[in-house]
Amino acid sequence: MAASFRPRARRADPLLGLILVPLLAFLAACGPSAVVPTAPPGATSSAAPPATATPAIPTATPAPTFPLAITDDEGTTVAIPAAPQRIVSLTPAATETLFALGVGSRVVAKAEDIAAYPPEADDLPVVATFQGIDVEQIVDLEADLVIAGGGNPSFTPLAAIERLRGVGIPVVVLYARNIDQALAGIRLVGLATGTSPDAGRLTAAMATEMAALGAATAVLEHAKVFYEIDATSKIYTVPADSLYAEMLILAGADPITTDDSYEISLEELVAADPAVILLGDDADYTTAADVAARPGWGDITAVKNGAVIPIADYVLVTRPGPRLVEGLRALIEALHPEVLR
Amino acid sequence: MSSGNVVIAARAGHAGRLSVARRPVALGLVGLALLAVALVAGIAAGTVAIAPADTLGILGRRLLGLDISPTWAAAAETIVIDLRLPRVLTAMIVGGGLAVAGAAFQGLLRNPLADPYVLGTASGAAFGAAIAVLIPVRALIVEFGLLHGLAFVGALGAVLVVYKLSRVGAASPMTSMLLTGYAVSSLLAAGLAMAMYLSGAGLRQIFAYLLGGFEASSWGRLAVAAPLIVVASLGIALRARSLNGMLLGEEAAAHLGVDVRRERAVLLALASLATAAAVAVSGLIGFVGLVAPHVVRLVVGPNARLVLPLAALLGASLMVGADLAARLLGDIPVGVITAVIGAPFFLVLLRRARTGYEL
Repeated sequence: MAASFRPRARRADPLLGLILVPLLAFLAACGPSAVVPTAPPGATSSAAPPATATPAIPTATPAPTFPLAITDDEGTTVAIPAAPQRIVSLTPAATETLFALGVGSRVVAKAEDIAAYPPEADDLPVVATFQGIDVEQIVDLEADLVIAGGGNPSFTPLAAIERLRGVGIPVVVLYARNIDQALAGIRLVGLATGTSPDAGRLTAAMATEMAALGAATAVLEHAKVFYEIDATSKIYTVPADSLYAEMLILAGADPITTDDSYEISLEELVAADPAVILLGDDADYTTAADVAARPGWGDITAVKNGAVIPIADYVLVTRPGPRLVEGLRALIEALHPEVLR
Repeated sequence: MSSGNVVIAARAGHAGRLSVARRPVALGLVGLALLAVALVAGIAAGTVAIAPADTLGILGRRLLGLDISPTWAAAAETIVIDLRLPRVLTAMIVGGGLAVAGAAFQGLLRNPLADPYVLGTASGAAFGAAIAVLIPVRALIVEFGLLHGLAFVGALGAVLVVYKLSRVGAASPMTSMLLTGYAVSSLLAAGLAMAMYLSGAGLRQIFAYLLGGFEASSWGRLAVAAPLIVVASLGIALRARSLNGMLLGEEAAAHLGVDVRRERAVLLALASLATAAAVAVSGLIGFVGLVAPHVVRLVVGPNARLVLPLAALLGASLMVGADLAARLLGDIPVGVITAVIGAPFFLVLLRRARTGYEL
């Protein structure tokens, strides 16, 4: 009597993979900044300065005394009873920040990092990959501070954050969608690890250097730039309100931006006619010749003039850590190399 | 008795094999043993190695209140009690619940291809979860976030719509229900596709839900979902007689004194409730709800009194085992494991039941 058709509910469509693979690839490649946020920007102990193209220079902060309660970038109040001695970093940016602040010896586990930086972190166990977080191992390492990545959707899966907090491990969630928030995140790590003076000095130096570079490029011609995140199926580029866009503007570009979908149609791209194409997150597997060979791309000014430039250090462009300045330099090297000479 | 008949009698003729009458007992014991092994292995194994003696000591101290002085690190206790135990128990409850719901749907609809998701629960839950991802307010991180709440509501809502819509028209109630379920599921799948298209970077979260898994299990979540699943499953098991009657056809059931209309509604509601709670806590995990009841039927025949509890045991062990395998292989989607274990096993059994198999 069985009906001949099969009224099963639809599950994940295989086609989904086609959409998902490039998206996941670029999400994996970027820092937490590649995800779309809704959470309010990081309210640290001092109020976050307003977002501007030129980063504000922070004032020195005194070393904190433990126990302390800090508010992370998701607005969660995190209690840290004593100076953390066993720190777990769940984002590559946080790993870099912790080592830059001189507390690398207290880091007991890290996130997988395609850029493998710093070298001193090479031997640390990896507890965070794009597939998931090894909560068991973090608990077993007796972590007393976890630095995670936020955003919406969260860089660190919410379930993992929830479980870690559930067993009493303080988790500080960082999320930056502009340069000021990235610097505020570094200061927050400083606060949480008792290294506020170092974090203050580091971020002040970064802000000064970025402001100087921004001032140097500000007077130059801002060419229309397309920053390619991926174009294997759909074309993905930078959202208007993102760390990407801010970095590009600071590097002296007039970036073609999109909404938070990261998607742009070929028609819009051709109509915008960029003078320069920067190969960003897909620089590892795309060449200028590939771009020229794509149907419909041949008439774009950048392609005609051979202005398709790979950014080898694309990871740094949006990694909200101490090397953000190097990311800015990499962009300027491609757009206005004379500024760096 | 055309459709109420798994003919395994032919096999009973093989000399020296278990008689049909003893099979339920044997399968019950095998099921219990399987579940016990799966539970022990699920608690003992993980990415961090904890000595079996320590695991036993921790369980004895924390669960039985034994006075054992810890020879293990505090972290080991946290791992066993707060991470592994709720996860293993959630997998057990969800697996058992899905198997019972699957058996109920197969019996009610008299369709061997029915599974717990057949009347729109899966697409309803997926759509609800996708909407939750689209809502730009971060769900409160309480035990049941927005995503799980909307998945639960979506699953129940879809079944309710299917039930209401299928009560009109000339087709027999069951055919009508299957067709309506198909139509509503397709519509919800379209909604899901649209939501995924709009979700941008939220796609990852929706996709993770569609794949299903137990990594987010916690005591709090278990405490919300487990009572719903257990009560609904028990309610179904208590209605085994009605389910048996309906296997014979609605008329025959009515002659046996079953209030068909009412019993059908109650069984549908209970099975949908169990399914909705299961998908809310663990996402969409296929195959267990489809295969576990069939495997049991192939061995003990169609009597719902036996099928329901045995399917629960088998579904629970299968799910705990699949989750353990998924964990040990680096948190791969548990649905992949259930399909990889379930499909071949099912095919082998189907081939061995040479004499034909009907519900």
